[in-house]
This record gives sequence, structure tokens and C-alpha cells, in this order.
Amino acid sequence: MENLRSAPPILTARDAGLIGCTHCGKVDRPGVARCARCGARLRARDVDGLQKVWAWLIAGIVIYIPANLYPMLSTASLGKTTENTILGGVIELMHHGSYGVAGIVFFASIVIPIAKFIAIIYLGLSVTRKVHMPMHRRHTLFEIVEFIGRWSMIDVFVVAILSSLVRLDFAATITPGIAAVSFALSVAFTMMAALSFDERLIWDARNEDVE
Amino acid sequence: MSDVQPTEMVVEGPKRSAWRNLSYVWLVPLAALAVTLFIAWQSWAERGQRIEILFENAAGITANETALRYRDVTIGLVEDVSFSADLTSVVIGARIDRTVAESLPDDAEFWVVRPEVSASGISGLSTVLSGAYIQAAFDPAPGAGTTKFVGRDDTPLVLPGMKGTKITLRTASGSQLTPGAPIFHKGIEVGKIESPRLIDNGSGVMVDAFINAPYDTRLTSATRFWQTSGFSVNFGPSGLNLSVDSVASLVRGGLAFDTVFSGGGPVRPGQVFDLFEGEEEARDSVFSETIDNAVDLTVEFDESVSGLSAGSPVLYRGVRIGAVSDIGAFIEDMPDGPAVKLRAMISIDPQRLGLAADAPAAETIAFFANAVKGGLRARLASQSLFNTSLVIELADIPDASPAILGIFSESAPLLPSVPSDLPDVGATAEGLLKRVNDLPVEELLDQTIATLAAVESLAGDETLRAAPDAFVALLDDARGLLGSPDTQALPAELKAAVSELRAVSEELRQADAVGKLVAALDAAEEAATSVTDVAADIEGATAELPQLVADLQKLTDKANSLEVEQFLASAGAFLDGADRLIDTPDARALPASLTAALDEARSALAELRAGGVVENTNATLSSARDAASAIEQAAQSLPELSARIESLVAEAEKTLAGYGSQSSFNRETLSSLRDVRAAAQALSKLARAIERNPNSLLFGR
Repeated sequence: MENLRSAPPILTARDAGLIGCTHCGKVDRPGVARCARCGARLRARDVDGLQKVWAWLIAGIVIYIPANLYPMLSTASLGKTTENTILGGVIELMHHGSYGVAGIVFFASIVIPIAKFIAIIYLGLSVTRKVHMPMHRRHTLFEIVEFIGRWSMIDVFVVAILSSLVRLDFAATITPGIAAVSFALSVAFTMMAALSFDERLIWDARNEDVE
Repeated sequence: MSDVQPTEMVVEGPKRSAWRNLSYVWLVPLAALAVTLFIAWQSWAERGQRIEILFENAAGITANETALRYRDVTIGLVEDVSFSADLTSVVIGARIDRTVAESLPDDAEFWVVRPEVSASGISGLSTVLSGAYIQAAFDPAPGAGTTKFVGRDDTPLVLPGMKGTKITLRTASGSQLTPGAPIFHKGIEVGKIESPRLIDNGSGVMVDAFINAPYDTRLTSATRFWQTSGFSVNFGPSGLNLSVDSVASLVRGGLAFDTVFSGGGPVRPGQVFDLFEGEEEARDSVFSETIDNAVDLTVEFDESVSGLSAGSPVLYRGVRIGAVSDIGAFIEDMPDGPAVKLRAMISIDPQRLGLAADAPAAETIAFFANAVKGGLRARLASQSLFNTSLVIELADIPDASPAILGIFSESAPLLPSVPSDLPDVGATAEGLLKRVNDLPVEELLDQTIATLAAVESLAGDETLRAAPDAFVALLDDARGLLGSPDTQALPAELKAAVSELRAVSEELRQADAVGKLVAALDAAEEAATSVTDVAADIEGATAELPQLVADLQKLTDKANSLEVEQFLASAGAFLDGADRLIDTPDARALPASLTAALDEARSALAELRAGGVVENTNATLSSARDAASAIEQAAQSLPELSARIESLVAEAEKTLAGYGSQSSFNRETLSSLRDVRAAAQALSKLARAIERNPNSLLFGR
């Protein structure tokens, strides 16, 4: 990376007056709507993409609120019904001494989503040059966000598996709450937000940085 | 340097406004926001109305877990449990369904349902697993919307909204009243009582009771309540009487009610009824109360009224028509000085007499005035054999000295009385005992012992013991006889004899038997003639009968006029005469000669049979029929004879019946007459038999 940073300014496709395909990497002349090789839509820079990022992100954040306020799981055992929110479940697990599980749930359900929100906000702002950050770190951050996004679904999987397995009628029944759906949607939305992000924008800022 | 280039190279359309530039993706966060807001709004809307219930304690109630139920449907959840400001009670904050909350009236009842084990059963068992819950009961009042309530510590017996009638019972002691005790009507549980409470002035106990619909329509003002302690033992003239009610009432006690007289009015809620100790008291209570439209009468007695008290029944032909309302003594000036008389005031219920409930008193008094003219009198009577209490009985005494209903302007009409014929129970019992005492029990025992001794000695007798042996020997002999070769050879001999007979008859058939037949017919004719002679004899005998009847008539006349001894003598003479008649050789000879005639006929037939004229049966039978008709003729006079004897006997009986039915003379006479009649009946029976089947005479069957 160090050598890249110190390398002379790279001529991007855009700089060369061409449009690079984000899918297959082929460059085309401007004015061509679709990539001649793979047929993907060609855009010099997806400025609207940033708009999409914000939209998905906001949707994810909005839907994350009920995911935390409403019960994730509703456990009916011997006539007693217990409903637990995500945070409530974590606290309960800690009370029971299962710190490890509590940690995993806390990390996967609260830390990661929130970190993702922050990361995407940061990326979005940095692209529009409101925040300064080294480009390579930005890229690393973006890759982390993209990679980790799917792992947040682990909660949803647990709920889905539990509620389909534990159906013992009177003895014990687990049903997913509103939060489970909300959480799944929130994760999906943030993933969409990350997907909508045009990473080329990260590098566009390079020249300005250099200047 | 390259700053400008890209801007030149980028082919962009006309710059769109920020709004036009908006991506459709923005719909997603909007939708997410909308959904979130909707969820938020929904959960807020579903949160329900908060109500607060005050409880003494919060046993079993947990915030966010304990449910509120109405008709066993969950309507809400306890939100928090806190103390009231002065720490004297617990405030349960709960969220309940808005639609329910809107209809909550002030008097809604809340109580905690926990498992409960009581005499009447186990309740709330489901709460063992699910935990306690708060049950609500109310009569929905749309729009009331009360939010603060005071909860109960116990389960209410009568829930608001239950259909039925609430009444109040009044009793002297609540010792047998358990809260929740059942109320029965004709053995069916129709309601419950609540906790008894003291009347403010301390004079008794009041208890609220609830009769479920539709049984509450059975309540009228004529309804009486009484306690059923589960079982009752009653020993009286009818024996031991044990009645047991349901087990629940055995444990908890119970009440029962019934309508004890007709014509009760409707009951309003909260009406107060008296609770009686037992069914009998309850039924009797009808008269201890003031009777509507009661008619007062007075009765004066000369004798002791010990056992008569206010409330004692007044019976008319066994039906209770009223009660004694008061008893008092007064002094009356009699020609031989002042005398103390007892006067009872009685109240008569006109309804019981069959008069209209609202009949004027004058009508009832007129009824009594009329009845007294017809012999109606009041008298004291004993209530029962083992009871010393008295009742006033209004009885129709046909030969009572004439009296009228004394009607006074200032006091109640006076009903005339007659002395009672109360049996002296004591004297009767004493007499009974004396008679029992006089029974020759000891002699009887002695005799019994002697008899038993005789039986014993008889049983001990050697010969009696030997009897079985002798019997066995006899059986042995019989067996020997049967087993002897002679006996066994008997059938063979019989067979031989039969074959011989057959041979003889064959011979006879071949021989010319006409001569013998003629002889036989002659013999039969002869027999018939003798039968006719016999009949003539009978007629001769019966000729004496009219004379006998005349004698009898004479005897009756004498019996009517003469002294007993003379009568006895003449009766004896009559009997002698009757005896003589029976004894007359003719009468006695009648059966004999008949028998002889029959014998002859039989022998004639036997000859015929022996003569072997079997083929000429027709001829034989015709001659026999002649003989039979002769016999028939003779026999026809027999019924006449018996009828005469019959009538004689009847007359004699009539005569003697006039004399009396007890004397031994009469009995003897009757028995001898019965003999006569038996003889006559035998005669007529014989005659009938002959008539029916003359052949039986001929063939001896």
C-alpha cells in the first residue's frame, strides 16, 4: 500500500474519458448504455448510488429501532410466557452466567449492526469529502462492512431454528417476535446499503487528496 | 490539470432538481418508517386502558406476568405492583383491553384466583401451573369506564352479572351457616349463601343468599327456608327416621326452601325471609304468623287445657285450618257460684276452608254458624299417641245437644265445645301391662317342657328306632318277591292266558250264541225291572218327606212358643225323626239296591261278555240302552228327592237360625242337617252322573 500511495497519480477510466464496467472491468466509451462484454449497465460514477446508500441505511436504522424495542423471542413454558428483547436476552444470559453466549449475541446483534451503520455513514460522508480519511483505510473499512454484513443474520437464524424446533405445545414453545422480522430487515437493508455503495467514489477522492 | 477534463467528458443531461433526482430507493426507508410507526401505534393502541386495583396483599401477583381474566378470557396484564400512598394496601396497575375497560362499572369485582381446597371441592387447580391470576366479574355497563377499584380478598359467591334473585335470610343463630353453603329446592342445588353477619342490634344473624335463575321464579312470599344439617334422626311413632342429604350439605350444612302454601305473591330482590330450624317448623310456621284475613273465634273449655298452647293447630276433619292464638282463664258466675272457665282464642284461615282468600269475615262466621247448627263442636284432642300436646279439633257430632254459634258484638264469636274423649294413655298402658302379666306364661312353659319330654321319650323309644330296620326288611322282602322266578314267570303265564282267551273267544265266535244272547237280554230286562222297583221304593221313601216338613213346621211353631227345654226336646224329636228318615231301611237300602241293580247289570254284561257275543254288540247295546233308560227313569226321581231334602234342611236351618247362632244345640242340629244335605248332594251327584253317562253304570267305568 505504501508504494501505491507514493506511486504517481493513476489514470482512471474516468480520467481517460471512458467508463469502466463495475462487473467485468471492461472500459467502454461514454454514451454506451451497456457493457459490450457482460451487458451490465454502465455509469461513469453512480452518484445516485450514494443516494441509494443513504436510503437503505436510513431504512435499516429505522427498522432497527423496533428490532430492539420489541421482543425477539416469545418463550411459552408450562403456561408461562416470557418475552425477551435482544438486549433483555443478553442481560438474562449474563444473569445465568453464560457470558460467552451473551457476548456473542451482544456482539452479533448490537455491536456489529451499529458499527455497520456508523461505518456506512462514515463512508458516505467521506466520499462527499465531509470527513477525511486515508483512502486505503476507507476501502478496508468498506470491505469489512461488506464481509461482516451477512454474519449479522446469525441472530435471525437462531430464532428461526429455535422457533421451528421448539414446538412442544404446553411444555415449551418458542415463537419469533416482531423484533426478529425487524432485525432481519435491518440487516438486509444495511447489506443493500453496502451493496449500493460505489467503491470507485472512494478513489475519486484520491486526486483531491493529492491536491 | 485533469480537473476540467472529466467534467467535459461526462455527458449529463440537463441538471435535474434535487427532488427530481430522488431515487425510488427512498421509498424503502419511508416504508420502513411507516411500518415502524404502524407497529408503534398498534402496540400503543393495544396497550389497553390502565386500571388500578387495591388489594390487601399481592400474594401470587407478579408484574408483567399475572393476567386479568374475565369469564376466563385474558383481558389484560398486571403492569406494576406498588403500595398505596399510606402503605396500607397494594395497588395493582394493570393494562386491560380497551373495549372491556369501557364497560367496567363501579361495582366490578376483582379477586385473585389461587388454588383452593375446601369442603365443597378443589378450585383453581389450573393456577398451580400457570400461577395465580386476577379474575374480574361485572355486569357490563357500556360507557362507565371506571379505572379505580377495590379488589376482594375472597372469591365472591354471587358474581355481578349472574342471573337470579338475591334475598336475605334472618335467623337466630348462624352456627350452621357456612359461607357458600348450598341452597336446595326439592333436592336440587339452586343457590348459595354468603357469609352470615350479625344484625346491628345483635338480635340475630342475617345472611344474604342468591337463588340462581331460573329457580328464583319458585320464590314467592309463601316460600319458607329451613336448615338442612345434612342428616336428621327422628324417632317417633312411625319408627326411626334417618334422612341424609348430599355429602356437601353434610359437611357444610345447607338450606332448603319450598313453597308451603299456595297464593304467595312475587318476591322483590332483597326480601327478608325467616330461616327455620327444620322443615317441619318451616311448614308449621305458616300459622304462627298472622294469617291474612284471619277470622277469630273463641272456644270455652271446662276441662284442663294442659298441653294446649298458643300456636297449637286447629284441625277440621284432620285438616289444619287455623291455630290457637291465645289462651286465658275467666270467671263466670254460675247459679252455684263463680266457676273458672278456660277460653281459647283461635284464628281460622278462611282459605283453608275453601273460601276465597278475600272473603269477608261475615261469610266465614256464617259458615260456622251453619256448621254449628249441623253439629259442629270444638273439642280437645291429642295430637298423637306419644305426644301430650293437644289440638283443638272441630268435629261433627251428630247427637250433640243443640247449640248455636254465640255471636257477640264486642268479642269474637263463641264456638260451642264438647268434652273431649281423650284416652288416658297411662291407664291404657297399665291395663295392657296387666293383661300381659296375667298371661299363663309359666303354665305354657311347663306344658311345652312336658311335650318336649314326651317327644323326647317317644324318639328314644326302641320300637321307633327299630322302625327303619323293619322298613328295610320289608323292602328286602319286596325285592325278594319281585326277584323270585315265579313273579318273573308271570308275564309269560299272562301271555299264555291271553292266548287261551283268544282261543276261547274264537271258539265262541264259531259257536251259535243267539240262544245265550236271548238269555242275557232277559237277564238285563230283569235287572231293569228291579231298578224300576228300586225307584218305586225311593218314591215311597220320599212320600214321608211332606210329613217331615209338617213336623218341622210344628217344631218351629213349638220353638217359637215353648220354653227352651221343651224346644230342645222337640228339636231332639225332630232330629230323631230326621235321623229316622236317614235310618229308614228304605233310604239306606236305596244305595244298596241301586248297587245291587248295577251289580246285576254288570253281571249281566259280564255274562254277555263271557258269552262272547262281541259281534252282536248292537243288539246287546240296544237292550242295555233299555235298561239304562229304566235306570234313568229311576234316577230322574232322585233329584227331586234331594231337592226336597235340600229344602227341608234349608227350612230347618232357617228355624234354628232364628233360635240363635251360639248354642251347642244349634251347632249339633246344623251339623246333622249338614250331614243330611251331604247325603242329598251325594244322591243328586249320583243322579247326575247316571244322567250324563249311563254307560258308565253299565260298564262300571
